[in-house]
Amino acid sequence: MFLAQVDPSLNFWNAPTGTTEWFLKVGLGLLIGFGLFFGLMSVPTNLRRPVVAAFTFVSGLFYVLFWLWPAPIGREDGTKPLNAVEGVGFWLSDALPKVANFTNILAAFMLGLGVFSVLKIHLGKIAKQQKDWGFSIVLLTCIVLMVAFGYWDWNLRTFGADSAKLDNPTYWHFANYMQDLLFDGLLQQMDAGMFSVIAFYILSAAYRAFRIRSIEATILLAAALIMMLSLMGAIGYLWDQKALGDASPFIANFKLKEVAGWIKDNVQTPAIRGIDFGVGIGALAMGMRLWLSLEKQGQS
Amino acid sequence: MQFIDPGRLLGQIYWGAQYLDTGWVSRLVPLLLVTFILINILRARSGKELYIRRIAGLNAIDEAVGRATEMGRPVLMVPGLSDSVNAVVVQALNIFSYVTKTAAKFGNPILLCCYNATIYTVAQEIIRDVYQEQGMVDRYDPDSVRYISDRQFAFAAGVSGLILREQAAATFFLGEFYAEALIFAETANSIGAIQVASSTQSTQTPFFIAACDYVLIGDEFYAASAYLTRQPVLVGSLIGQDWSKMLIGTCILLGALNVTLSSGPFAGKSLTEEKSAGVWKPVKEPRLVSPDDVFAVQLFKSQDKAYVKKSIVKPTREKDPDYHPVGGDE
Repeated sequence: MFLAQVDPSLNFWNAPTGTTEWFLKVGLGLLIGFGLFFGLMSVPTNLRRPVVAAFTFVSGLFYVLFWLWPAPIGREDGTKPLNAVEGVGFWLSDALPKVANFTNILAAFMLGLGVFSVLKIHLGKIAKQQKDWGFSIVLLTCIVLMVAFGYWDWNLRTFGADSAKLDNPTYWHFANYMQDLLFDGLLQQMDAGMFSVIAFYILSAAYRAFRIRSIEATILLAAALIMMLSLMGAIGYLWDQKALGDASPFIANFKLKEVAGWIKDNVQTPAIRGIDFGVGIGALAMGMRLWLSLEKQGQS
Repeated sequence: MQFIDPGRLLGQIYWGAQYLDTGWVSRLVPLLLVTFILINILRARSGKELYIRRIAGLNAIDEAVGRATEMGRPVLMVPGLSDSVNAVVVQALNIFSYVTKTAAKFGNPILLCCYNATIYTVAQEIIRDVYQEQGMVDRYDPDSVRYISDRQFAFAAGVSGLILREQAAATFFLGEFYAEALIFAETANSIGAIQVASSTQSTQTPFFIAACDYVLIGDEFYAASAYLTRQPVLVGSLIGQDWSKMLIGTCILLGALNVTLSSGPFAGKSLTEEKSAGVWKPVKEPRLVSPDDVFAVQLFKSQDKAYVKKSIVKPTREKDPDYHPVGGDE
């Protein structure tokens, strides 16, 4: 067993279980973690910002270095770096999975807070018998049932005597059936139900958007009409094959398939790429402002 | 033509060999973008007046919150479906802090629905900070920031339910949205809520345009905090983004011109030699010029893989005596 089981080779970041080095590293990790936690809590509010800024910078710097530092070429397990530059490259690539795990650890802590929020709001609603408190009972019951049967099912599949056979429903226990009913039978179906509702919403939104109110809406309507017609097999066949089948090369440009393709390749795709470029550059600028702590959060 | 090996030049034989990739211009461009942004931040900090055009969606924020106040109904905000606190979420929360500030001034209730527990905790801190800054801590309701679910359609159902039950008068959907975008927008539309929306996913933008009153398209979303606060750092960064867009636009224009001239009027011209391992060699069979052969494309692409491959020699490293290979769990 390792500190991080994803990486079985030994390096600065892990150690074999039970050895003094392992205990030392675990202890040191806990000490640093709790030290940082309590240290940050006890820092006066006006000093918290620079401390957070320093942490943000160091965390960001790791990824900047990871992407920009020359990567070791043809590295094999159990070899030493050629020089100091490669040494840093080795260290960075060894550290990456561990640094990424910090995010997972934080997310696990935060999930607890999220669940606490859900419980607090809905238990409060039930206690005060506020409007629609019945739905809160359903929600909390579902959470408890999902957790209980999900864990029971996982336990049977992982540690059960017949765990290897549980892929076959013939060998299922009560917990496996319940988990299947709750997850695949209910949750997945409700997910699919919500997803399918979108079809009706598209219809109502399209109806509002495509009314001829302005030049822009009219262009939108015309483009959408061509696209829809080009996807209708019968109409496409009648126009493209029957009406314009033997037309001259110039007239053939007016086949629905050609016009729709032109709209997609020359109007839609460049527009989307333009938007994506803008979003990408915006994200880059935002990321830089965050990394260098130039962004003053919450003061908009 | 031979390429200079930067590794050998600096006396370090094997490091840096990945930079031999001749598509180095594609590394230079991001560096230029970063420089543009930093230069403009410095310009704005030095007190230079920089212009930002009017953005209707952002002007509508005050109108939407004001309307919600008149109707005595809450303002609902969703920072998208990001899996963690990333740049998109931070930007959305920045805008929401402005919305909350406006709502707090009017004494209007707010609801902020989170898809992710990490976002929930950050959002809670930011919203509390806003009330604190306004000197209205007593008006802050911790339950106004809620974690709903981290399953896409459970979240969609939860938020839609809240919109309907609480009869939100103004809704703000800003961030990463996917298939659920239209569910939110149409639900809010069904109760007559005024809607301001923006998705960083370009596939969802048309849905928002069709269903919402105001939409921030593309990088308008990132312009919001600069537009609303006029902080020099943010305004400078925004101008830097504009410079970056102009650079990319110029590259695209010149590239298109180059490809058009090379493959348009000269279409049918056969290619007789191409560069391989650093030298021009005749091709075995002459072929037509393709867009990949054009200068502008080669400038941004790794154009000479053969040379790069040849120049990278696998180094022989010493064995590490302290290394103990272990095949998994002990």
